[in-house]
Amino acid sequence: MNHEESEQGLKVVDAFDLDDELRSILKPGELLRDAQGRRHRLPRYFYEVPSHEVALATRLTAHFAMNEFVLNDLKEAPRLQQYPRYIPCAVRILAFYLEHFRSAAGASVHIAVNGGYRSPSHKMSQNASPHMWGTAADVYRIGSNILRTKETIDKYNDIAEDVSDEIHVLPYGPVTGKNADDHVHIDLGYITLAPREISEDRMEHPQESKPRFAFEERRAKERRAPASVAENE
Amino acid sequence: MVAKARSTAARVPVQPAQDSVAAAEVSLYRNLLKIKNDHTLEDLGISFYDAETTVQWSYNADAYFHAASTMKLAVLLGVFRQVDRGDLALDAPVHVRNRFTSIVNQEPFMLDLGRDADPDVYGHLGKTLTIRELAYWMITKSSNLATNLLVDIVGIPTIQLALDELEIDGIRVLRGVEDSRAFEAGLNNEVTAHGLLKLLRLIAEGKAYSQKACDEMLEILLDQQFRSGIPAGLPKAARVAHKTGNISTVHHDAGIVYLEGRKPYVLVILTQFPAEQGRGKAVAEVSRDIFNTLAESIYES
Repeated sequence: MNHEESEQGLKVVDAFDLDDELRSILKPGELLRDAQGRRHRLPRYFYEVPSHEVALATRLTAHFAMNEFVLNDLKEAPRLQQYPRYIPCAVRILAFYLEHFRSAAGASVHIAVNGGYRSPSHKMSQNASPHMWGTAADVYRIGSNILRTKETIDKYNDIAEDVSDEIHVLPYGPVTGKNADDHVHIDLGYITLAPREISEDRMEHPQESKPRFAFEERRAKERRAPASVAENE
Repeated sequence: MVAKARSTAARVPVQPAQDSVAAAEVSLYRNLLKIKNDHTLEDLGISFYDAETTVQWSYNADAYFHAASTMKLAVLLGVFRQVDRGDLALDAPVHVRNRFTSIVNQEPFMLDLGRDADPDVYGHLGKTLTIRELAYWMITKSSNLATNLLVDIVGIPTIQLALDELEIDGIRVLRGVEDSRAFEAGLNNEVTAHGLLKLLRLIAEGKAYSQKACDEMLEILLDQQFRSGIPAGLPKAARVAHKTGNISTVHHDAGIVYLEGRKPYVLVILTQFPAEQGRGKAVAEVSRDIFNTLAESIYES
């Protein structure tokens, strides 16, 4: 990680400024239908994560680092399997709620591969789902418990719902998209976040080329907690 | 079952003389019948091809058996087809997840991880393993979880396409592992000794897509960790690139045998026995008999 990145946080990009391939993958501003036929507009502002090391080092909260939200496999578009990765800015809100969920659960919370951000081009992305907004997480393990029974999934669903009315979970069951039977699905709905460093006056034209950085310096010390504290274990 | 021995020698070897080959075949046939009777096998299928002499011999080799884990050879072939075409990277990460859908009704099912021989894979639940690692564990420890993950990625139609492209008859791959709905519907993977022999011969001869793909597959097969079948009937110095297959009523082994100072031979042994009996050592005994026939009767006489 270079000095500039560590001091200034992750660069925020307007996805309309990205190259053609990335725009076609991320589909900024496009409307997508969810399973119920409701239409939602895809996010436009993304954090650009330059490397795995930076993803590991970027703490969104005391116990959640950026890398946990960008883990994916070959189902993701090949371009997004490489760095730099892109993740909607609303992920920091999700991390905030997950931190509270972790406290309520009383154990470490582990997000599955493909369980954080999934681009609209991800093979698991058929209808609109909050995963494409960076506001959903599939938790496969809590503490040492692998979640695969109705009992444990119901238990942690209840805990998650008690954390906040904003949290939505999927009930235990077999139907993909409606249920979850090997993880706890937590989402906040279709939230988009425009960082304060961004001007939204144009929808589809490149903005001024100077870099924009999020994670205000005043919070940097909190995010760069000592590794021993920051480990999600 | 037509329990009838037949010689299908591709061409007559120069050495030794024809009569000694014929005598060896007769002796081998007698020994195999004895093994079949001694172990009260319900069915036995054998096929081998010796690259040193070009002798090919078979017994009941077109009969279909439940494939058990020998179907993983076809999955391996399908994976390397995709790799060779550039459609799949061996280093590509795969989410290790124990959740699959039945080919019959798309209902989800999970593997019974207590029955799977490979904690190396299910220890990565929620994380990733590469295609190469999954292929390795699928073969060397017969991991069902790795197999189903690879089947999900490559797809049954692609696996069957690979078999068709290479003109391998006698292997039917319809589904992944532990798809009980498919099992109840009678959809099972099946193999013949001839089918597996053809597949392994192509790999041994560098003709399964590319020499590089074959080398990679051989490297994995040579690391097989279950050695109670073909290797158990061979001298310790023998190297065997092989895949076993076991369920409650079948015990198979299919492999390429490398012995010092000679070309390899390819051997497939399929056995079926009553469930209450247990698998015994029939495969190892057949392997020993064939080794003796090839290495002693033919080459040392």
